Amino acid sequence: MELKNQKWPADEFFSRRREVLAAWPTGREVDLDEAVAYHRRAGAGRSMAALLDQARTSGRTLAQPRAGVALLLDQIELLRYLAAEGEADCLPATIDSYTRQNRYAEAQAGIEESRAAGRSMLNGFPAVNYGVAACRRVVEAVDVPVQVRHGTPDARLLAEITLAGGFTSFEGGGISYNIPYAKDVPLEKSIADWQYVDRLAGWYLEHGVTINREFFGPLTGTLVPPGISHAVGVIEALLAAEQGVKNVTLGYGQCGNLIQDVAAMLTLPRLAEDYLERCGYRGVTVTTVLHQWMGGFPADESKAFGVIAWGAATAALAGADKVIVKTPHEAVGVPGKEANAAGIKATKQVLNMLRDQFMPPTPELTEEIAVIRAETTAIVDKTLDLGDGDVALGTVRAFKAGVIDVPFAPSRFNAGRLLPARDNRGAVRLLEPANLPFDRALLDFHRERLAERGRVENREPGFQMVIDDIYAIGKGMLVGRPR
Amino acid sequence: MTEEKTVVLGVIGADVHAVGNRILAYALAQAGFKVANIGVLATREEFINAALETDAAAIWVSSLYGHGELDCRGLRDQAAEAGLERILMYVGGNLVVGKQDWAGVEKRFKDMGFDRVYPPGTMPGRAIADLMRDLGLVNEVD
Repeated sequence: MELKNQKWPADEFFSRRREVLAAWPTGREVDLDEAVAYHRRAGAGRSMAALLDQARTSGRTLAQPRAGVALLLDQIELLRYLAAEGEADCLPATIDSYTRQNRYAEAQAGIEESRAAGRSMLNGFPAVNYGVAACRRVVEAVDVPVQVRHGTPDARLLAEITLAGGFTSFEGGGISYNIPYAKDVPLEKSIADWQYVDRLAGWYLEHGVTINREFFGPLTGTLVPPGISHAVGVIEALLAAEQGVKNVTLGYGQCGNLIQDVAAMLTLPRLAEDYLERCGYRGVTVTTVLHQWMGGFPADESKAFGVIAWGAATAALAGADKVIVKTPHEAVGVPGKEANAAGIKATKQVLNMLRDQFMPPTPELTEEIAVIRAETTAIVDKTLDLGDGDVALGTVRAFKAGVIDVPFAPSRFNAGRLLPARDNRGAVRLLEPANLPFDRALLDFHRERLAERGRVENREPGFQMVIDDIYAIGKGMLVGRPR
Repeated sequence: MTEEKTVVLGVIGADVHAVGNRILAYALAQAGFKVANIGVLATREEFINAALETDAAAIWVSSLYGHGELDCRGLRDQAAEAGLERILMYVGGNLVVGKQDWAGVEKRFKDMGFDRVYPPGTMPGRAIADLMRDLGLVNEVD
């Protein structure tokens, strides 16, 4: 089937489904009608869409950790602990990296080795291997909605099993779970595979079950300028809406400069709503999620709490509907449950204290909002142009042309020519804009901001500045100043 | 002399962490090494084949996602079988799941046959200095 941004016909979807479910034995457990009945019995208390709606109306920010381990009982115990001790508002099963690459046999070996070793040897929960019934034990173990979080270019089977398994929210998209998460997967394939996932979520909706679809805003988590991640989020929202999805959450990874981050979070839902409206998709609910700093962390736990608290403050002041929480063990990898709970509690303390405060409009904030709007619009409009109005085709062509270019992405289908760096106040700008479709005024803005930093540091902006910025937060700073 | 020496660089297993890989490649090249960068999602076979093809002096394995313990097993034996008995092997990153005692982690990876094992947060310069020393190139850096 040729890639097009067009709702999949039922026969196409159901014939593809047979192949998808046959890829691993647990695929046989999925029965869509029975799954719908299960979701209806479970009710609104497990619905991520309902919880997000409530958060949006009441103006509060939900705190959600990442959490996944190899063994089923440990996963259940972990989620219970993060709900009770960590006070998490909603929870995830974070999926292990073998499953993300569809390497279920290796995931199975990881489960066996974890049993033998008595500790998790996998960095997440291998949901496909466990199957539908085990997933239901996970979601039933807690009273809050549970989401699937991962990084899977082809997540069709994972979506089938986890949605039938009672999860009510599924993260990812054909761009955001390919370009940062794969090296050889063509966008034509990942976009089509995610059309399948969105069509599946659309099917649930048509049968009375709202599945929340969240797109992975941080991308590579490494100095991604907001205009680029916003453009990707808007495009993924359009692709999902075409397949019948009506409940989307757009994400953004905190960069560290408060004004830029607040501007990013304020513009994100407006831009998505504008484009959804303009492209004829009605009745789509848009919410937002801020990811606390996704780059390198300080190893010192007190310093890490400082980074976490700054992310929490940003989420609260920017009015994010949800914040994804880091832990004091971030610098050394996957955290244990105590460290994970500690990160949530630090976050919630700050969220609660800032609940009734917001950022007043200032000239700086207004300018930043205008810049992010102009950047996102330039990229999305050019992408639509390149596809002659078809956003799926346009995306493939936009990546080929470097109109969308994600810094530090492993995919060979990403141009990889763009280089970001911080300006003198720590906002992320473009050192090398490569082929982004920006007008003269935008390019001048970026160049001037980096020139200003260059003058202060008495050096020419260059690759060393980028490296210094990548390590800076881990070393206790925001801007990577020369030593 | 360093421009004669090649380092095979890659991120092993199902790991897609690309940033450190890019920085290590840059730092090694700046220090005068040739870099055979096989990138992310690299299999053990790709490391060995790249080392054979480039007559490499060292293999640098990165692992940031916690599965390093599962992914790295057998690499030393496979290298020996391929005739690379004496090749230097370094590994670094977030090698295991969870915050574990470093001495234990280091020992586990040394037992697997790695010459040097680096904890999270190691700067590229430290491993490059070790490589210079292990290859007898120390005087040239001074």
